[in-house]
Amino acid sequence: MVFYENDKEKYDAISKDLFRLVQKDEEIHDVEFKTKPIGFFMDVWLRFVKNKASVVAAVIIMIIAFFAVFGPGMNEFRFDEQHTDRINMPPKVPFIAKMDIGIFDGGFTLENRKYDNLNDPSKYPEGSVLAIRNPRLVSGERIVDVEVDYYKYMGMEDDECFWFGSDYLGRDIWTRMWRGARISLIIAIVSVCCNVVIGVVYGSISGYYGGKVDMVMMRITEIINAFPRIVIVTLFIMVAGTGMFSIIMSLVIKDWVNTARMVRSQFYRFKGREYVLAARTLGVRDMALIFRHILPNSIGPIITSSMIAIPSAIFAESFLAYIGLGLQAPEPSIGVMLSQGQKVLLHYPSQVVFPAIVISLLMISFNLFGNGLRDAFDPTLRGAE
Amino acid sequence: MEQAKEKILEIKDLCMDFSSGRKQTVKALNHVTFDIYKGENFGLVGESGCGKTTLGRTVIRLYDPTSGEILFNGKNISGKLKKADRDYITSNLAMIFQDPISSLNPRMTVEEIISEGLKTRGLKDRAKLREEVAGILNKVGLLPEHGTRYPHEFSGGQRQRIGIARALVVKPSFIIADEPVSALDVSIQAQVINLLMDIKKEMDLTILFIAHNLAVVKYFSDRIGVMYFGNMVELADADELYAHPIHPYTKSLLSAIPQPDPVSERDKQRLYYDPSIHNYEKEKPSFREIRPGHFVYASDSEMEQYQKELES
Repeated sequence: MVFYENDKEKYDAISKDLFRLVQKDEEIHDVEFKTKPIGFFMDVWLRFVKNKASVVAAVIIMIIAFFAVFGPGMNEFRFDEQHTDRINMPPKVPFIAKMDIGIFDGGFTLENRKYDNLNDPSKYPEGSVLAIRNPRLVSGERIVDVEVDYYKYMGMEDDECFWFGSDYLGRDIWTRMWRGARISLIIAIVSVCCNVVIGVVYGSISGYYGGKVDMVMMRITEIINAFPRIVIVTLFIMVAGTGMFSIIMSLVIKDWVNTARMVRSQFYRFKGREYVLAARTLGVRDMALIFRHILPNSIGPIITSSMIAIPSAIFAESFLAYIGLGLQAPEPSIGVMLSQGQKVLLHYPSQVVFPAIVISLLMISFNLFGNGLRDAFDPTLRGAE
Repeated sequence: MEQAKEKILEIKDLCMDFSSGRKQTVKALNHVTFDIYKGENFGLVGESGCGKTTLGRTVIRLYDPTSGEILFNGKNISGKLKKADRDYITSNLAMIFQDPISSLNPRMTVEEIISEGLKTRGLKDRAKLREEVAGILNKVGLLPEHGTRYPHEFSGGQRQRIGIARALVVKPSFIIADEPVSALDVSIQAQVINLLMDIKKEMDLTILFIAHNLAVVKYFSDRIGVMYFGNMVELADADELYAHPIHPYTKSLLSAIPQPDPVSERDKQRLYYDPSIHNYEKEKPSFREIRPGHFVYASDSEMEQYQKELES
């Protein structure tokens, strides 16, 4: 087939008027979309639920939050109620104890007891002995280690029990732990919220205006970041006394810097985008540009980084409590409980184990949850899996 | 073009420097001077990075020009702007952007995107806003139902039409179209260009059309300016420029256009532009008229040489 004859003159001689644009009069017509509109947050949700680990983490966070709210009210003890005759009780939950699987049965091993006394009901009330271990002869005496139901051994009623045991003042660990988790969560969430508010405002201004403003503002954050946290906490405790306020303030004063830097980098990323320029050519004001165009697009990284900031705030709080700069006694927090429990770790490990499990779960869950959110908010991963 | 030429935009000696590093500056625009007449399509061509986009953005004042003047309808819109001046610019000039993906905010619905310009002009009535948006969507070939959708649900051509709708809804008198079709599929390019042509006629617009596709520019423009490294090197009516290119850069640019003709393509001679042929050390070049309506950037001796070329 020949498209062109080798005759240039012939083609050049064709009058321009004879040409007609093919699509000129064609109406552009678009069909209506068949699908339902998917909003941004719906899209995020769909991607989030695909990530199983972060869904599990979210569920764990919800369970812990539920217990942090309702846990302290679930039994008859108050967090500061002392039972000096019932100190260091092992954990016992009646219905688990009945299943006889060796946990939560109030079991406690008494070492080096005389075997002959085991049948003396005045020393070992009826049914208190759970197991006898390690029989041996020491100077002609039969010695054993006896695992007893400590509650029965102490002669307590069957329905009176500390689910997670009690501490050195006879306070219920279940109540104190959930109350501590509640306080840890409150401190973490309040301080992260403050961080986000301050950081977003500061970072937006710094990132949006750039130049000299940015230079000065970033140098200020570097100075603030240079103070050691311990010094700040100590100063606050000196001025405002121990308590939530001092701890929250010490967490806020340093940590908002990170949020501000992150927001600033987001602003640098988005402020040159064409849609921002387009809005500027339409005469949209600075504030509207910041809050309608740039911030909504950086909301993903902001949410993600604040989610990841929560476990580090919880940890920082526990750390402060652990070294003794925490809350005023008798107010519990997880750090306080860990610090008290580690003194009796070898004898009563349950006093450390439960708070440790809760804080570990909280931290790992918030980290996984934050990672899941980051993936969900990051549209570059759209369709990647 | 037949009627009396009324200048809508005058650009005089416009310079735009960007500082890169401490001492270095990049001269993105170097003493550019030209006028745009009311009702015309002014095409601006040149290779990537020659300052076309910078020129467009400087005219609409996304950048602050280093020196020079921009007069719009005789009113100076360069230099420091008061709020009233900025409002004047935003209500008369509008811009269509190159990239249909990044020029629409992914977090806003189409209706929000288009109505934003109206809202900043103080139109608050929701029913009226919706009506305006529906009207402009129809005009660019979309359906009013599309208003509730987010940009990522549209194809590239549709998004570019949304961008056009956003620029047009505020009823500007001057539009800067910054490579509006270069990111689009060839089959869509014609649609969008024709749409722009139709709307231009209907709304009595003046368009500054920035592109690097010479075929599109030739089809679209009444007059064409050729830019090279921040300088306007040649400016003429579209037909004149294609028939009688003078500046060597223009020649090389035109020689690069592919022809839909395998015969002439087979033995096409590509011309290459070598800026070192100019000797501007002794003679300062300037932008001057070589024929009525045909300007070229040249020094005195080059001018004579170009004259001879034209006559021969």
